[in-house]
Amino acid sequence: MADKPKPLPSDPQIEASPQPRLLRILTIITVLGFAGTLALGLRVAGTDIQQGEIQRIFYIHMPSFFGAFTAFGLTVVGGGVYLARKSEKWDRIALAGVEVGLAFSLINLLTGSIWARPIWNTWWTWDPRLTSAAIMCLTYAAYLMLRAGIDDLDRRRAFMSVYGILAFVTVLITLFIIRIVPETIHPVIIGASPQNAQGGFEATSGVVIALVPSLLLWLTVMPITLMWHRARLEARLEALNRLKIQALSE
Amino acid sequence: MMMTKSTIAIALCLLALLAMGGARAEDGKTKTAAYFQSAAFNAPILDGWENQSTAAIAQFHLAEAAATIRTASVNASDPRAAAAAEVSALTGLEPAQPIYSDKVNLADGTWTVLVYDLDAATTASVMARVAGERIAVISFIEREPTARTALLTLAQADDALSEATPEIAAAAAAIAGVSLGDLAEAESVRLPSGEWISFAGDGVAAMGLVFGNDSYVALQAGEPGDLATLADAWNRTLLGFFITPDNSAYLALALAAVFIILAVLVGSLFWRERNLRKDLALLAQISRIEN
Repeated sequence: MADKPKPLPSDPQIEASPQPRLLRILTIITVLGFAGTLALGLRVAGTDIQQGEIQRIFYIHMPSFFGAFTAFGLTVVGGGVYLARKSEKWDRIALAGVEVGLAFSLINLLTGSIWARPIWNTWWTWDPRLTSAAIMCLTYAAYLMLRAGIDDLDRRRAFMSVYGILAFVTVLITLFIIRIVPETIHPVIIGASPQNAQGGFEATSGVVIALVPSLLLWLTVMPITLMWHRARLEARLEALNRLKIQALSE
Repeated sequence: MMMTKSTIAIALCLLALLAMGGARAEDGKTKTAAYFQSAAFNAPILDGWENQSTAAIAQFHLAEAAATIRTASVNASDPRAAAAAEVSALTGLEPAQPIYSDKVNLADGTWTVLVYDLDAATTASVMARVAGERIAVISFIEREPTARTALLTLAQADDALSEATPEIAAAAAAIAGVSLGDLAEAESVRLPSGEWISFAGDGVAAMGLVFGNDSYVALQAGEPGDLATLADAWNRTLLGFFITPDNSAYLALALAAVFIILAVLVGSLFWRERNLRKDLALLAQISRIEN
């Protein structure tokens, strides 16, 4: 009879624990909500008679920025709490916020660029809002590269927490620049601004109907759900690394 | 437990918003639009004019002036043929040679400007331009035996001037055979479309408006009538006319970009999860080999 194999070194975090019920519910809401808001934007909202079909991308373009805002905001929270408590969980939340926020920012940037081609007759212009959004994306892409380059775990977490907090300045600049710099051609949707001095944005009921649910979804449920999945995966990856080190040291 | 209840509440709110969205959109369909909209073009709806539009043609009629303004998209070989077809369809008369013909560049393309004298009671002013595979035609028809009206758009002769005086003079000479000297001193007339300059003389009235690099001119011979109303309506129709661009390919491209980025994000989670499992299996295998 063969010897019973030596058990694998174990770490309680690496076991694929079942998804929390809340996460499963959030995932379902995200998938259904995404499909539903897409249907509202594509089928229910009317066609903009001046811009044509491409205007419908607005129902994703604008909410995706606010989704990135939530994710990057949670990176600030995660970084701040990590620095205060040194709890790894908050560092994982910060990392998840950057990955999800960066994906949402890229959606925002790409959809804006594709919209600009038929409307502004160019894929890209160095407008203050577009430039600040591009800098924001690069700043968070650099976060991921820097993080991968620091070996010492504690130093990495502390450094990236500070970086994640400071990087949020680029988000705020992107958000407010069109209200500060009048030399922008980017539309200002909400509230007063130098560009709206001669008349503000007026949304028809169709625009509001398609925009509000999409905004709510991208602002809240979508980033939180994706970040939760990412943070859970990171916990398991960290545990796996610990196992590898343990196995190598034996 | 509290968290789960909150999530369900959020989900219900979201679904309710989606449902409300659909219902309100249905209500919105019954609202009167400020624009006539068709697949081929959009044209402003003229307040105070009888709306005789069909699904594909925007047509407005002012009974007291016996005037009709109609916008249509015509399947024709060129703007002149399209204009003639439209005039014929509207009046039942076969137009002969136009009494005035020119071309003018506007922001949306080059328009052919034509004026027809059809019979003793009927005049037609038409603008036509190529719009994709078809021809967009905007026609003004007047069936008034006591007055003859022509509505024109001309390139501005002197862009230093803010008044359309030179263009009025040119049009008056070409169509009515009168010079500005025969008309009374100019007056300024405030209309919804802008500040027009107006000349009046014995049996002839003329109005003009500068807009951009072009001037809009209205001429009327015979009994003085509703020239200001007609000029204003014609001007609003021309400036308000536009074709919704077909850019659905860009929408498809943008949606593809959204799906690809989300797929990469979610796919990377699965891919890293799969690698994690592989590494775990490898560790287990090494552990077995060691034993």
